[in-house]
Amino acid sequence: MNLELTWRLLKGGGRRGLLGTWLTLGAVAVSTALLLFAVTANFAFEDRGERGAWRNPVPAAQGQRAVAVEGTRLDYVRDRQIVIVDLAALGSSPPVPPGMPRFPAPGEAYFSPALAALAKQLPAAQLAGRFPAMTGVLGEEALVHPEELVAVVGQRPDAPVMTAPRGADDAPVRVADLAGEPSMDSQGYRILALIGSVLMVVPLLVFGGAAARLTVARRDQRLAALRLVGATPGQVVGMTVAEAVIVAFAGVLTGTVAYALALPLLTRIRMSGGPWFAADLWPDPPVLAATVVAVPLLVGLSAVAGLRRVVVSPLGVAKRETPPAMRFLRVLVLLAALAAFPLMGRDTGIAIIVAAIGLAFLSVNLVGPWVVALIGRITARGARGPARLLAGRRLVDDPRSAWRTVSGVALTGFVAGFLALLSPGVLTSDAVPGQLRVLVPEGSSATVAEHARDRLREAGVTATVKQSDDVVAVTVADRDDPATLDRGRTALAGLVPGRTATTGADDDHTGAQLLADIGVGTVVVLSVSFLVAIASAGITAASSILDRRQTYGLLRLAGTPLAVLDRARRAETLIPLTVMGGGSILVGAFCATPFMFGAPNANGLIMLLVCVGLGFAGVLAAGALSRPLLRAVTTDPAPRPD
Amino acid sequence: MNDVLAGLALTKRFGQTVALGGVDIAVRAAEAVAIMGPSGSGKSTLLHCLAGIMKPDDGEVHLLGQRIDAMGERERSALRRTRFGFVFQFGQLLPELPAEENVALPLMLGGVARAQAVRQAREWFGPLGLQGMETRRPGELSGGQAQRVAIARALVTKPAVVFADEPTGALDQSTGHDTMRLLVEATRANGASLIVVTHDPNVAAWCDRTVEVRDGKLLAGGVPA
Repeated sequence: MNLELTWRLLKGGGRRGLLGTWLTLGAVAVSTALLLFAVTANFAFEDRGERGAWRNPVPAAQGQRAVAVEGTRLDYVRDRQIVIVDLAALGSSPPVPPGMPRFPAPGEAYFSPALAALAKQLPAAQLAGRFPAMTGVLGEEALVHPEELVAVVGQRPDAPVMTAPRGADDAPVRVADLAGEPSMDSQGYRILALIGSVLMVVPLLVFGGAAARLTVARRDQRLAALRLVGATPGQVVGMTVAEAVIVAFAGVLTGTVAYALALPLLTRIRMSGGPWFAADLWPDPPVLAATVVAVPLLVGLSAVAGLRRVVVSPLGVAKRETPPAMRFLRVLVLLAALAAFPLMGRDTGIAIIVAAIGLAFLSVNLVGPWVVALIGRITARGARGPARLLAGRRLVDDPRSAWRTVSGVALTGFVAGFLALLSPGVLTSDAVPGQLRVLVPEGSSATVAEHARDRLREAGVTATVKQSDDVVAVTVADRDDPATLDRGRTALAGLVPGRTATTGADDDHTGAQLLADIGVGTVVVLSVSFLVAIASAGITAASSILDRRQTYGLLRLAGTPLAVLDRARRAETLIPLTVMGGGSILVGAFCATPFMFGAPNANGLIMLLVCVGLGFAGVLAAGALSRPLLRAVTTDPAPRPD
Repeated sequence: MNDVLAGLALTKRFGQTVALGGVDIAVRAAEAVAIMGPSGSGKSTLLHCLAGIMKPDDGEVHLLGQRIDAMGERERSALRRTRFGFVFQFGQLLPELPAEENVALPLMLGGVARAQAVRQAREWFGPLGLQGMETRRPGELSGGQAQRVAIARALVTKPAVVFADEPTGALDQSTGHDTMRLLVEATRANGASLIVVTHDPNVAAWCDRTVEVRDGKLLAGGVPA
């Protein structure tokens, strides 16, 4: 019976009631799509790490039978990194590496599709000449991302490249299998992804909750009336949950479809030097199922929380009693959460860091309405004109609603403040342009330098070769020509077994890549946060007008200029936004302090300023978009309560 | 001719429906006029046309000899704020403002400083039997008290005409009786005219004159004898 009545209420809500339902559905859909992205990104980084693990060999344990020797080295072409995996079989039945039909025999080479294409595109003297002829192409399961340049080269176990001395980190090792382990880099990315997800998920949940309460706001009068005619609290709760869950479920399905449609675009986000496989970014069935179940459930719970006043007192909504004052306890919770941060550092466990950031983030959300009410009291007390008085009183009357409008941007302020301090600076390099350097075994630099001159001469590369105790440095004549540099690299390939000739920029490649990726990650996290924040501001602004349309209409009838109503509405948003946005930025920066790398840099501060500007502009634009709605509801010549 | 407000041959159509079909009506200074009629008769449309809320399709509206139906929305809005007062059935008080600020709001909208506006607003609380209610919010007032606050708000700007649309519609008989008495007395004491739209003869009985509207036309009494 309840479900049938709920369905009737949902359908019979009229044009404006349906508008509220559509807004909720849209908000849940946006939340779901972004939530899927935030959650799946973690699994995507995990998948990448696991696919790359076989190239990060783990030495066979004492007593284990070694089946192969494996070593990984890095080479470069056109400023792109090539991962070269040298494999030598020990025994007659070595394991088959991922993405390959069989273990490579000595002299065989398997290329990733991107490397195969590049080798075909460039003259052999610039790239292909460094490797044996290509035997086959590596499958996706061997690659971290689709554009990765990887070469797997079969060797003999006693080949110089497998036995020559190298650094402790990249020396070939005897392995019991080819499982390997995820590299430190990939684990670093997973940690960054997890932090990014926490920063994105919290505003998303807040947004979803706001959307759920939007449904309740549209219905509370009606549900209070049902209580007055004798519906039990259980029936009211049941109907509220049913309505919110029906709408949320439709929103989740819409959001999932939207995510699927956006997938081709999302795969183009470049991380660790390349885009994504679509399968990486598509959620696994358990994740999808959990989302489809959890989001409507959360929306339902949020709706119940919003209905508490109706259930407790049927007259609560009908008579618009003064809401209970916010408790100072909220501020104490935030202070307690913040007190944990000075005790942390970069060596603190990731689980503790993520939990503390999440807690601080949620505490900002908890303290928001309390601050809004405080600001409202100050604004109302100091107001001289009607617009500020209306805004101040409104903030005191319903601080939660005002907070919902600005919470998204304020919480994005937290993210921006946090990331602004963490944004690393630009790498400074003292590398000589056009110079390739190769480390040489002690005492052999003169011989190696002589060999280098011979090879370069044969390859037709004009260069000067210098030597020191442990390095041979080759500077090509045409320093700015990447083709000449790659001919030099190819000519020097195998000069010192197991070592490649690299430029200073090559040596900084991983660091520069990490900086670039943190930059991309920051932009992605902030884009998601802003999208949510601005959508949230727009939806709550529209719903606030709909909720108060009768009051607005009557004020207009009595001659209140539209501009005054609009100014009041704007002040109602901008005053808490300024205070809470600024406060959240400071709290975010405070939380990032223990994890800073050196002093804050200009990039971070510029990003912060851009964020503040975009946030304000976005909320103002969202508010401006609802102005026609305000005009529409106030031109109704005979507003009646409905 | 001491008409404060006059409507001449007012016509208003909504699609095919004729809400007003050439209505003539005039109200004198400090006169209380009741507009009666069944639902859908056109009485609220007449009030909206006279108050400058709605423009008639044909006909003219004059306030103290000045034609107001030809004014733009901004001018009519200013007119409603300064020369007219409004009392509705319910919902006209802002729930978040205390009673005194609800009354002071029209003055503040007219540019009066807040402290002075609140001071002027408080002067209305005694005569209307609202002592001690100044800082209460509408949710903490009874229906009758809320209507008296609304009356104070309608009169605080010293308007020429007060429009009341079913002012006792949400009140019990005894409270409605008291509210009408206060509305008529306070309006008259301030030299303002009163136009009350109602379907209740008991409410109409408080007025000097009653005009009946049926199917968009006045049956009688549109112009004072």
